Amino acid sequence: MTVSETPELQPIVPSYRLRILTDQQLDDFQSASLEILQEIGIHCPSEKALKIYRNHGAEVDSETQIVKLPPQVVLDAMSHAPRYYTMGARSPEYDLVLDGNHFYCSTDGCGTEVIDFNSRQRRTSTKHDVALMARMADYLSSIGFYWPMVSAQDYPAIAPLHELEASFNNTVKHIQTETVMDERMARYAVEMATIIAGDEVSRRERPPLSSLVCTIAPLAQDKGGMESALVFAEAGLPVGFMSMANVGSTGPATIAGTLVAADAEIVAAMVLIQMAFPGAPTYHSMMPGIMHPRTGGYLATAWEGELPYAIGVELAHRWDVPTLAGVFATDAMVPGWQSAAEAAAYLLLCALVGADTGAGLGLVESCTLLYPESLVLDTDIYHQIRVEARGIDTSRNAMALDVIKAVGPRGHFLRHKHTREHMRKLEFSDLSAQPGPAGGYQDPVEVAREKAAWILENHHPQPLMEAQQVEFRRVIDAASREFGTL
Amino acid sequence: MEHPPIEPIVTPYRMRFLSQTQLDDLQAATLSVLEAVGVQFYSERARTIFAEHGADVNHETQIVKIPRDLVRKAMSTVPRYPVLGARDPGLDLITQDGVTYFTSDGCGHQTVDFFTGETRASTKADLAMMARIEDYLPSISFFWTIVSAQDCGYTAPLHEIEAAWQNCSKHYQSVTMMGADRARYAVEMATVLRGNSAEVRRRPPLSMICCTIAPLIQDQDAIESALVFAEAGLPVVFMSMPTLGTTAPATYAGALTVGDTEVISAVVLMQLASPGAPVFHSLLHAWADPRTAAYVGYPLDSRARYAPVEIAHNWGIPALGGAFGTESPELDSWQSAAEIATDPLLVALAGAEIVTGIGLRDTYTLLYPEAIILDADIYQRARYSLMEMQVSPEELAVEVIAAVGPAGHYLKQKHTRTHMRNALVRAVTHQLNDDGKYRNPRQVARDQVTWILENHQPNPLEASVQNELTRIIQAATREFQG
Repeated sequence: MTVSETPELQPIVPSYRLRILTDQQLDDFQSASLEILQEIGIHCPSEKALKIYRNHGAEVDSETQIVKLPPQVVLDAMSHAPRYYTMGARSPEYDLVLDGNHFYCSTDGCGTEVIDFNSRQRRTSTKHDVALMARMADYLSSIGFYWPMVSAQDYPAIAPLHELEASFNNTVKHIQTETVMDERMARYAVEMATIIAGDEVSRRERPPLSSLVCTIAPLAQDKGGMESALVFAEAGLPVGFMSMANVGSTGPATIAGTLVAADAEIVAAMVLIQMAFPGAPTYHSMMPGIMHPRTGGYLATAWEGELPYAIGVELAHRWDVPTLAGVFATDAMVPGWQSAAEAAAYLLLCALVGADTGAGLGLVESCTLLYPESLVLDTDIYHQIRVEARGIDTSRNAMALDVIKAVGPRGHFLRHKHTREHMRKLEFSDLSAQPGPAGGYQDPVEVAREKAAWILENHHPQPLMEAQQVEFRRVIDAASREFGTL
Repeated sequence: MEHPPIEPIVTPYRMRFLSQTQLDDLQAATLSVLEAVGVQFYSERARTIFAEHGADVNHETQIVKIPRDLVRKAMSTVPRYPVLGARDPGLDLITQDGVTYFTSDGCGHQTVDFFTGETRASTKADLAMMARIEDYLPSISFFWTIVSAQDCGYTAPLHEIEAAWQNCSKHYQSVTMMGADRARYAVEMATVLRGNSAEVRRRPPLSMICCTIAPLIQDQDAIESALVFAEAGLPVVFMSMPTLGTTAPATYAGALTVGDTEVISAVVLMQLASPGAPVFHSLLHAWADPRTAAYVGYPLDSRARYAPVEIAHNWGIPALGGAFGTESPELDSWQSAAEIATDPLLVALAGAEIVTGIGLRDTYTLLYPEAIILDADIYQRARYSLMEMQVSPEELAVEVIAAVGPAGHYLKQKHTRTHMRNALVRAVTHQLNDDGKYRNPRQVARDQVTWILENHQPNPLEASVQNELTRIIQAATREFQG
């Protein structure tokens, strides 16, 4: 097997900016969040976290486990949170430098079912799927970092660690886990990050692993999640908090109400991290849904569902922290009209408001089902938005005045040197601009399937060094002894 | 019968795609091409008007070169915010900042029959059916010739006007009006509808699209019909469709310069002939597939798509933006959504006053009647995304959040009951089956078309108006077809 080069990343670098909320509206949101944190508080079931909150000026009721945070305590803690930092990769050229100008996207993650790559039958996901999709993500320039796309359900006891092993072994890009929800498991994950980085100093400077922890709406935290986050933060690995409050059930039935409750949840968690480890890299992530009034289901893609994701980015920036934006979440059951109709605008809006990172490409059925070709299809939309946001050249050469004058009325531009030179620079879709054998174009979904198969057959990124693989095996074995294998 | 009110995109947000310097550079380039290269006008009448106003006209080559002072003088009489009147006064469109009105696509020539599934040439009946559907849909603010009445021969454009007004109370913009002779009959039809020519000018119920020919040509029939419309006070949209690499340079800015020059040369002509005539600027550039030379509307790199709206505004002219022209021949394929999903967002953020074209497939040529429902769904997503966000105390609901507290739920709150009715606006993708699962959007779209056709009947034209329109079409038929 020949080792393949990983193509260069192509982040979105927008030339344009959109502001959705006014400064006054952002101030109103922040005041409301501070009011909630001070007067209502957050439920935190972790004794460890409660102690940190108490030692840093929060009002903690040990019996109810409610933490109330005075505004000044919140603002002091948040003042330590860095706005910009680097998310490292196995290879430095794939490091993600969060600088306010670049927008990096990841795959979607934690799906539970897969349309099998060969049989096309629907089945539960496995560690092997995580590995295959890491390889595909490694090839695609749209993917800045990798979320293990599905869960390694064939290793139930320590699935998160197997997912990390499969991921690090199959992509040189940064890995972000969303399944390490236990303090002890987190320590093993940190150990794996150190193996990748080489030493502790490098791990802190260019952290190859980060974590995402979900809060619980309304206004609550998960014990395992928060204690895991503290372990990551202590090790200098970025950690983010995501609220998935649902308009009408776990959030008020107004979008602003749900956003402010979600913001309070996220900020309370970030405050804890900054209290414990001032300056630790953290990020803010808002992915609200709207409750379907007849089923109670979480809908990410209702007509009014797009704007809250972009507003989440603006709220994060109001707190002066980076964001993980929600992009590409589709409620479609199969890749097709609906998945495309729902996805593109989310990505565009989040790019235009200046998102730092976003998740994620490649799953359907509300982030649960993996079709092998979905990542390739979403990548095409990603590049469309990337190019759209880039701006245009209006130099004299680009305006081609001399060429227009030379051709004049009723002519054509086919023979002109300027045409030959610039025609090559135009970008056409890999999927929808492939001529078919009988004229016309091939079916883009079929082209995507073929491309996915080609990548898996041909792209084999640099594997981990032998010594790293041995160390990983040792970590997995130790974790298996502690947690069991099933 | 009552129909839902129209729902244009109304937004406080605006994006600038080009800097003022870039816009000024593009305008300077257009002025330079108008002055130094010129535009070929096949119409002798047009050339005569130019000559009378001091342009440099060569009748032999048919090239008209327009000095920049003459361009600027003519452009100064263009009305910035024209009105598109409707059959029903409540549906008049008042163009203004922050409001974008959408219409359907046009002008398709094939229809996938809604009842038989057969693909066939489009007819007047198809147009009438779509007019009825579009009369009902709030996403459609005015009506375009979505397909052509190919069963009506030379007078098809007049039959299309009749089908539009019989079935749709909104403004009608003809995409097929070619030739001064037919345009005069069209003006007569508008006058019959309004009662007199002053009312036609005040609330023009009819407008037209006039396509230019790239590079730098004006068709005789098109430009002469535009002159007739402009004289009557009916708005004219000048649309250029340059293709990068074949009929325009292979750079965006070059193609924009060619297209803008064509549009501005026509606008100048209208203002010289009928100062103050309402006009719109439209530039729908495309790309040539380097392997087949085929017209490609949606390459991966289509970033200049809505720069023309800003170019129009830099001239002080309202703009018609182009959206939704997927190349996919399928009704509901991945491609038919992926290509166009951000169009309505971007064109509204650019501030276009009016926008085409919801509802066709296969690069503006193929009608599935139910496609308009799917496209309208994407339109509505953009409309909601661009609505002003409410951040009032009632919306922030801090008191409700306090009442529920951590780890509770909001289902029992009065605030939830009050607002939940408006919180979820169901998309075509969130319609439930009896078993609680979501229905296939294609079937939802088909059912909606069926429902509209069974239940929605726009108010008919007054009998006297209908009779007059019939008489005009008969007279035109006698004149043109014997």
